[in-house]
Amino acid sequence: MRLGSLFLWDIRFQAKHGFYFLYAVLTVLYVAVLFAVPESWKEKTAAILIFSDPASMGLFFMGAIILLEKSQHTPCAFAVSPVCPMEYIIAEVSSLSAISLAAAVVLASAAGADNLHIVLLGTAISSMIFTLFGIIIATKISSLNQFILWTVPIEIVCFGPAILHLFKITPAWLRYYPVNVCMEMVSGGTPSAMGILIVMALLAILFILSKHCVLKMWSSTGGVKL
Amino acid sequence: MRAIRSSFFQMLAYMRRDMMLFAACPAPILAGLFFRYAIPFLEAVLADYFHMPAIISPYYRLIDVLFVMITPTMFCFVSAMVSLEEADEKTAAYLFITPLGRTGYLSARLGLPAVIAFLVTVILLPVFKLTTFSSIAILLLAACGTLQGVIVALLVAALSSNRLEGMAITKLSMLTVFGAVIPFFVKDSIQYALCPLPSFWIGKAGSENTLLYMFPAFALSAIWICFLLKWYLRKM
Repeated sequence: MRLGSLFLWDIRFQAKHGFYFLYAVLTVLYVAVLFAVPESWKEKTAAILIFSDPASMGLFFMGAIILLEKSQHTPCAFAVSPVCPMEYIIAEVSSLSAISLAAAVVLASAAGADNLHIVLLGTAISSMIFTLFGIIIATKISSLNQFILWTVPIEIVCFGPAILHLFKITPAWLRYYPVNVCMEMVSGGTPSAMGILIVMALLAILFILSKHCVLKMWSSTGGVKL
Repeated sequence: MRAIRSSFFQMLAYMRRDMMLFAACPAPILAGLFFRYAIPFLEAVLADYFHMPAIISPYYRLIDVLFVMITPTMFCFVSAMVSLEEADEKTAAYLFITPLGRTGYLSARLGLPAVIAFLVTVILLPVFKLTTFSSIAILLLAACGTLQGVIVALLVAALSSNRLEGMAITKLSMLTVFGAVIPFFVKDSIQYALCPLPSFWIGKAGSENTLLYMFPAFALSAIWICFLLKWYLRKM
């Protein structure tokens, strides 16, 4: 019940601040790009577009979301409400993943992806990973520039290997690298059981870390330690 | 002038605290080194791998045009983020009624970073360019690239009412830079659908090697900046 309310409020919050409009515009633009590229490039282009934008939107926006909440003193309210950090995190992750999935459905369909269900599963998992990274960083920063700077190393270690993996120019052992497993799914490929296991382990670690970070942020909010 | 200088140094101090200053300063040089050395290397590797004579090299001019816009966009974007936070925390409104005033505030947050970005581009472009440019072309391209950076910063500052909307508009405003790509890839008249973007004319000047196309870029930039400036001041 509480989780459902949080999820709905997050969706309202994101709609109010133009996320849905933004991704509608970006999706139209990306579809135009997909129609402009040669047929043989479509699938890979769609995978890169989905992975680098809708799937990773959490990494881009979580800093601004949490900073805005801090400036509106929302963490103070959360700190004394019955909401627990995990509910807050799940609501943020699932509401942002909803936008990622909506954009990914359109892009994958425009590219004529065969395994739409795998593409969407890959998008959802990637979105969770990036949003959790975003939450961990956002709880530790105090300005947008700081957030942008902190996300750069994560972008490098996530996007670089994943794009190289898509073009099959990475060593064989890197197919177990979590973001490469996600990219494989976003491009419609079926990942190995080992790959899935590693991704799930990463997700579990990120959830625990982000819970710890959110709890720390809430308990030190307003200048006092709760 | 003293107030503008103080306000500018205050912004630099704020950026230094965020470590952004240390990132923004070497970034144009790192981008230049990448464009100048990594791209030709990548071209050699790809051409060898795909057994093709050229893959990226026909677009070296486009890479130069993008480099011209990178430094100003980066510098102006970083200061736009600072002014976005100042607007969000209502500090900007207070600064407007100090001796700094609106004009001084805009000079410190947009004018000075733009001038520095122009100078940095004029110095770095001859060092890192992949194709040949005359001195006048370098000056005109750097000026147009700087105006493009100011447009991106003003779009973010004028159209957003808080930092979250600012980030959303950042995504859209960055797309205005990619108008430069179109003249290189779309050869028929449909390319003119993007003619309201100054970056389109910068790209056209680069792709057709005709400096005359810089004039619509300047005129359009002036219109965009006037319009956005009015919007920003009305919002504040």
